[in-house]
Amino acid sequence: MKTKHLSVLVLFVLLSLNLAGCWNSRELNELAIVSGIGIDRVMDTGKLRVTFQVVNPSATTTTQGASTNQSPISIYTVNDRTVFGALRRASKQATRQLFFAHAQLLVIGESLAEGGMKDVLDIFERSHELRLNTTVLVSRDTDAESILKVLLPQESVPSIGLGKKAENTSKVWGETPQVSVFETIKEITGGGGFTISGVRMLGNVEEGQKKASLEQTKAETSILISGQAVFNKGKLMNWIDGPEARGAQWILDKIYETNLNLDSGDQAKAIAVNVVFSKTKIKVEMRDGLPIFHIRINEEGNLNETQSAVNLSQNHEIRKLEAEMEKLTKKEVQEAFQAAQKAECDYFNLGNEFKRVNPAEWKKVEKDWNQIFAKGTLELQVHAFIRATGMRVTPLKAPE
Amino acid sequence: MKKEIIGPSQMFAMIVLFEMGTAIVIPIGLESGHAVWLSILMALPGGVLLYLIYNDLYRQFPNLIISGYTRKILGKYIGWPLSLLYIPVLMFNGSRNLREAGDLLISASYDRTPILIINSIMIIAVMYILNKGIEVFARTAEIYFWIMMIMGLVCNGVVIMAGLVDFKNLFPLHYKDWMDALTSAYPNIWIFPFGELVCFTTVLPYLKKSGISGKMGVTAIILSGFLLCFTHAIEISVLGMDIYSRAAFPIYTTITLVNVANFIQRLDALVILTLIIGVFFKMSIYCFAATVITADLFKVKDYRRLVVPVGVIVLFTSFISAENYISHLNEGKVFLKYFLPAICAVVPILLFLVHRIRKRFGLYR
Repeated sequence: MKTKHLSVLVLFVLLSLNLAGCWNSRELNELAIVSGIGIDRVMDTGKLRVTFQVVNPSATTTTQGASTNQSPISIYTVNDRTVFGALRRASKQATRQLFFAHAQLLVIGESLAEGGMKDVLDIFERSHELRLNTTVLVSRDTDAESILKVLLPQESVPSIGLGKKAENTSKVWGETPQVSVFETIKEITGGGGFTISGVRMLGNVEEGQKKASLEQTKAETSILISGQAVFNKGKLMNWIDGPEARGAQWILDKIYETNLNLDSGDQAKAIAVNVVFSKTKIKVEMRDGLPIFHIRINEEGNLNETQSAVNLSQNHEIRKLEAEMEKLTKKEVQEAFQAAQKAECDYFNLGNEFKRVNPAEWKKVEKDWNQIFAKGTLELQVHAFIRATGMRVTPLKAPE
Repeated sequence: MKKEIIGPSQMFAMIVLFEMGTAIVIPIGLESGHAVWLSILMALPGGVLLYLIYNDLYRQFPNLIISGYTRKILGKYIGWPLSLLYIPVLMFNGSRNLREAGDLLISASYDRTPILIINSIMIIAVMYILNKGIEVFARTAEIYFWIMMIMGLVCNGVVIMAGLVDFKNLFPLHYKDWMDALTSAYPNIWIFPFGELVCFTTVLPYLKKSGISGKMGVTAIILSGFLLCFTHAIEISVLGMDIYSRAAFPIYTTITLVNVANFIQRLDALVILTLIIGVFFKMSIYCFAATVITADLFKVKDYRRLVVPVGVIVLFTSFISAENYISHLNEGKVFLKYFLPAICAVVPILLFLVHRIRKRFGLYR
């Protein structure tokens, strides 16, 4: 009896060893947390140059004041043919094993984007550590490495800051989208064109990577979200900016909030309306072998500022402004649409919409859809509503 | 049969957990494109019909398991070898479930742990519970049924809350989609997961009241069919057809995308838990069925004595059968096409018909 109890005890102890699950253990203090990844193509060798932005934990503590003089991040740059190869090769430089589950940002270098970026996305899908909801940005007029090197004010980890920048501007200004790796893969496999926000550097890297650059009120080097990179068949084709870019967002139904400066009777662009709701509906129809795109936009906004003397207590004045709003939206959408037609690239996903609704017809036009798209006509309908005028009804006036 | 008895709600829970098992985690019915959810619904009536056949056989022989009445209906000389065939098929399918769970765990987080360790920990739990008997197992199922339901609710809830669902990926359905859905529903989804209920022919004799087996089983199958349909529809609507079809475990990819207000995220643990619970029950029932049939055929008095040998065979089959996950999947295609339908559908239907004919013409002595 006694031996039986003893053997059971031994068995329990042995089993509990299994339950601790130490086989795959990785301790936090043996990991280097990667916050951002940048990928460029090295032109002469064809290899990838992968840049890792690694967080220095002691330098990013939330307590204010310079506790250490260490930079909050370190940069490792590695050349390899594959991304995974690069991240393992980085072990030669890093003191700890790189850990990717918290990567917030992927910067695609312009050089890589021009040659097609689909190959580097595979590891994001396949790996269990890399996340699909990492934000993607394309570096503009510079390489991904430099973008990741620059320190940002306010946010101690620049990758997190850039992710927030992309999100913020896409939500309140609406000129650029915030795109994740998941969405990028979806767009690439969907076959159509697509756009990704661009990121650009003002100033130079040498200054920007020094902590000293943050010791002044205006940082020496700054990084800003700028325009949209247009991809056709997975390759960077051109950049769109300003009204073209926002028009594209409108067609894609990605406007959350944006500002429209409207003309009023006496002054141009003097009334600011904040669009707070916008919904786009698309219908594609083929007539005589050419597509007709019915795009219907409903938008609602609040009047937030007026510098011109309009009598807002009058219904017809509001109507006029609404008409003005519709006109402006129409103009931007048409501009964006014409730009896409001129470039012969359907980055509004109109082709996929047609494919979804009418797969039989799509088969016939699939092969040269971009050319057919370029000849299509746009039937645009915009309905705008101004719902509120803020804390005052009529604007202030100085007696003459 | 013996003193062990199972209540109706326990039976219900066992059937639902069994159906959810692996079918909720791996992509099923890929031929049907974005209409997978439709083909699950199409396969559901067939699954119910098949269950009614098993149930009818059970009602005719309320004290016998499948190997028992196979011998009664087809005679000793055909029935015994035919019943013997059940054992390897059931054990192999059990081992496949084990392999899928092990592979998900390895590719999801335990990348350096050998599959032997992961699988053996799981099979030890199965052997333990079967050693305690089917009654204990059924009570466990009753508890885990609710855990599964709550986890399913949470998972689906957060995916919807995160605003990831895009119904454009599910509609519209064209004529071709309906045809594709039908061809993948029969026989593929009909057999996996619905036809696999053939295992329950060994569990049914333990029911407390035999009268409720039909109604309760059908309800459980319909519930699990709808749950499967709903979950796969959500997966496709989130991932889109392309990623869904390329993913090894679409539900895992779906849940990693969840991010509600930068606060609720990284819920992958829930998916892994779902899989482990589902596979545990599914595999246990497979092992149980194999054990009881062996005990019946070789006249072993207590089936519990066979639990360990069966478990060990299932464990080793699970990683010897295929050198990697790809060949495991390819094996599965062949297995699903030829072997499983024979055991799950052809033999029971044959038994059903032969029994009817013999009864009608008074051919039983």
